[in-house]
Formats: sequence, C-alpha cells, structure tokens
Amino acid sequence: MIEFRNVSKVYSTGTHALNKASLTIEKGEFVFIVGSSGAGKSTFLKLIMREEIPTSGTIIVNGMQLDKMKRRQVPMLRRTMGIVFQDFRLIDKMTVYDNVAFAMRAIGASPKAIKKRVPYILELVGLEGKSHNYPSELSGGEQQRVGLARALVNNPKMIIADEPTGNIDPEMSFEIMELLSEINKRGTTILIVTHEHELVENFGRRVITIDKGVVVDDTMSVSASES
Amino acid sequence: MKFSGFGYLIKEGVKNIWSNRMMSIASVGVLISCLLMTGAASLLSVNVTSAVESVGGENVTRVYLEQEVTDLEAVYITNELATISNVTETVFIPRDDAIKELEDTYSDAIFEQLQGEGNPLPNAVDVTMEDLSLYDTTISQVMAVEGVESIRDTREIAQKLTSLNNLVTTLSFWIVLALTCVSIFIISNTIRMTMYSRRFEISIMKSVGATDTFVRIPFVVEGMTIGLVSGIVTSVLLFFLYDIIMKTAQNIIEFSFVPYSQVGVWTTIVFIGAGVVIGALGSVVSIGRYLKKEGNELLGW
Ligand SMILES: Nc1ncnc2c1ncn2[C@@H]1O[C@H](COP(=O)(O)OP(=O)(O)OP(=O)(O)O)[C@@H](O)[C@H]1O
Ligand SMILES: [Mg+2]
Repeated sequence: MIEFRNVSKVYSTGTHALNKASLTIEKGEFVFIVGSSGAGKSTFLKLIMREEIPTSGTIIVNGMQLDKMKRRQVPMLRRTMGIVFQDFRLIDKMTVYDNVAFAMRAIGASPKAIKKRVPYILELVGLEGKSHNYPSELSGGEQQRVGLARALVNNPKMIIADEPTGNIDPEMSFEIMELLSEINKRGTTILIVTHEHELVENFGRRVITIDKGVVVDDTMSVSASES
Repeated sequence: MKFSGFGYLIKEGVKNIWSNRMMSIASVGVLISCLLMTGAASLLSVNVTSAVESVGGENVTRVYLEQEVTDLEAVYITNELATISNVTETVFIPRDDAIKELEDTYSDAIFEQLQGEGNPLPNAVDVTMEDLSLYDTTISQVMAVEGVESIRDTREIAQKLTSLNNLVTTLSFWIVLALTCVSIFIISNTIRMTMYSRRFEISIMKSVGATDTFVRIPFVVEGMTIGLVSGIVTSVLLFFLYDIIMKTAQNIIEFSFVPYSQVGVWTTIVFIGAGVVIGALGSVVSIGRYLKKEGNELLGW
C-alpha cells in the first residue's frame, strides 16, 4: 500500500528533512508516526500525498510510483486518500453538509450520488443532527469530525492525518481516535502523525518514530486497553 | 466528465462574479471601453477605406489625346489603354461630347459656339485604375502610349487618400492589438483576485483530487461571462452611437459613411466573440500559475 525505498528529501533551503527512509505500510494497518518537532513527520506525509517530490529514492502508494508520476496523474492518487488537517480546513460559509458534499462535487460526483452518500457519512461520524449548521457553530471535536467526514466521503483506501487532535481537548481527541479505529476496522488504512503519547499508548498500534529525518524505531506499542 | 458536475462548476463561476462584483463590474467597464475603442478604430478604418474606394471609383483619370488624333485613332488608343495591367476600364470621350458636358455643367451660351469645327478640346479617354497606389507606374505607361498628350493630374488627392488610409489602417491595427492586451490583462487580474479569495477552496479541491480542468472551469466561466456581458453591452451601445458619431463626422468632413446595417451584424459577432475569447484567455493566463502550487504554498501560509 505504501512503500518507501531509500527516500531522501532535501528542501531548497538545504534542510535534510528525510534521510534514506525505507518502510512498508500494508493495507488495513493503523499506524502512528511520532517524533520531535522538525523531525520530518509532515514531510513524510507530504511525500505520500505528493505535495512534495523526493530528492532521491522510490515511493509507491496504492500501486502508483510517485517519483515518476506526472502532474496530471496526481488527482487520481489523491482520490485514493482522505486527508485530515490539524486546523480542520472547513469552509466557513458552507454548512456541514456542503463542506462534505464539496469534496464529492470537486471530483465530479452526480447530485444523486451526493444526496445518497453525504447523509450516510454524516451519520457515521455522528453528526446527522448538525448537517445544516455552520462550522463556527460547532465544537472543535465536531469540526474535526466534519473534516473526517469530508476525508471519508469519496471512499478512500486510506486516511492521512497530520496531528488531527492537535487543536482539540483530550476527551474529544479520544473520541476522534475511536472513530478512526472504527473506520480502520472497516478496512481503511490509517496514518496519523501525533504528539500525544497517551493516545498512542492507549490504542496499541504500530508506531513509527522519526528523528532528524531518520526512521529510528518501528514497533507495536502495547495497548493498555487490549492487554 | 459528468454533465451534472459540469452544471455545478458553471454555477460556481457565476457565483464568483457575484461575490467579486465590484471587480467584475469594473472589468466589464474597462472591457467595454476597450472594445468600443477597438471598434471605433476598426470602423474608422473601414469607413476611410470605403471613402478612398468611392473616391477611387470617381477618380477616373482623364487622358487627353493629341489634337491630330482622329476619332477612329482615338478608339484604337482607348482599346490600347485598356490593356495596361492596372487599368480596369477605359471610356472614349469624343471632343464633341466633352464640350457638351461643359455646356451642361455651366449652361453657358459660349459653349454652343465652340461646338463642331470651333471645338478647342481634344479627344480624351477616361481611365479607371484598380489600385491607386500604383498610380505613378500606370500613368507613365499611359503616357508612353502614342497619341497621348497629357493627363488631368489627380495624383495628389489620390496619394493623400491612400496614405491616410494606410495610416488609419496601421494605427487601428496597433490600437486593436494594444487594447486587446490591456483587456486580457484586466480580466486576468480580476480572475486572479477571485482565485486569491478562493484559494482555500482550491487547496481543498486539490487535496481531494480535483483535476486541473475542474478547478479551472469556474474561473474560465467567470472570465467568459464577463467577456460576454461586455460584448453584448458594447454591441448595444454601438447600435445607438454609430449613426450619431458618423453624422457628426460627416458634418466635419464630407464623406459617405458605411451604414450600420452593413456592419452591425459583423460588429456584434466580433464584439461578443472577442469578449468571450478575451475573457477565456484572461482567465487561463491567471490560473496556470496557481494550479502548480500545492498545499500551504497555495494558501500562502
Ligand atoms: N517547505 C519547506 N521548505 C524548507 N524547509 C522545510 C519545509 N517544510 C519543512 N521544512 C523543514 O524540514 C524539517 C522537517 O519539517 P517537518 O514539517 O517535516 O517536521 P515535523 O516533524 O512535521 O515537525 P512538527 O512536529 O513541528 O510539525 C524542518 O527542519 C523544517 O524546518
Ligand atoms: Mg508537522
């Protein structure tokens, strides 16, 4: 599903953000990516989304080789992934419903398909009662659930989230993680960058640790709840 | 592309115009001015060309033959003059007709006495030229024909008109070119502003896998609509203004202008077509740069 072979990324400023990283993430996995600030976690995700191009090495995501990919093929790659942002990135002047529908409209879905799919996804994230509200009328946790709904609505193979709980309080964070776990159980691969050790320990999943652009650790954390 | 999705994108384009209405109105205004000015330049050119042509039609050069030339010889010379390449028509004017012409024009009894044997006028031939810019060459060919005495020289008028026509044509070409560039620049700026205010939506569209075409369509629709509206308004304005302007111009210099009915359909097609094309070009120019950016770079964060 995701394969990095000796991937290095050097920014134009000269920063070595990633150094010969090699790793494989299989379909259906739930992976946390941790590391100190500036370690290269966001760079890792941007390479997967092809927001950045590697300086050297090979990246394969959902069967597509990104380092050889042409610009016009990028949309097809993006349609295989749902992206969740730390700052939610909801459109203020659109309702919850329209924010989610927007992701479908953007890739040319028919109004009929949108009408069918959006309420289903909103129910999945527990926001069926808020579809006519605006983002400013929601709590942080609810806003992130809208973000999650938008990421899920096009039925992606994986969810990529860079600190999805960075802007919400711990209880809400836990709820979001539960939700992601639930989505993972249905077969969607989940990739989460996070600073919150408690969450990582609580969920007992694969943890990839990056330090100064190098993958220094890749282990299963023991789940407190499962053990 | 599914048609349903397409309808959504068109709606978005029209919404863009509304949410950015001050800029939209301003660019429609500028575009109308540009179209009107380019239209005025082209129509001036058309009218001057037509004026030159009509003068050219009347501007038949009268070629006087030598006094000894008999009527029969004159007919031969008339035919010979017709073989010169730039000459489209030759008409033999017998001396008797020439004097009658004068009599008709001036209705003076003196011309009556000059008819017949006392006629001082030579036989003549009216020569019509196709291309006035070849006047000199053609005249020297005419003069070379045996039996030709002299010509009534209208070279000066012809040259003046021709050079005026050339000047107007060249000038209007550059005006049209310059104002087209200005129009494209104005539209692309307007679209760039809409894109800037829409950059957040664009970044989300790109993150969920919208194609460049999909991101582009609303902005192209916006540009084309602005162009279309400008083209229509300009055509309507011209419909009302054309006769007024031409009549005013006629008061200053005497000339017969091309009537609106003859140019109206064309100017309408050209204005609307040019508006739409300029609108589309303007938006395509401004979008390209934006589409290459990704994520935070697009957002300017
Ligand atoms: N666009 C860029 N241009 C230049 N340098 C960059 C760019 N993006 C990131 N960097 C640098 O690359 C390094 C890794 O950045 P990255 O954003 O991947 O870190 P991170 O692990 O996500 O950190 P944080 O936890 O603070 O988000 C940092 O030193 C950063 O300054
Ligand atoms: Mg980061």
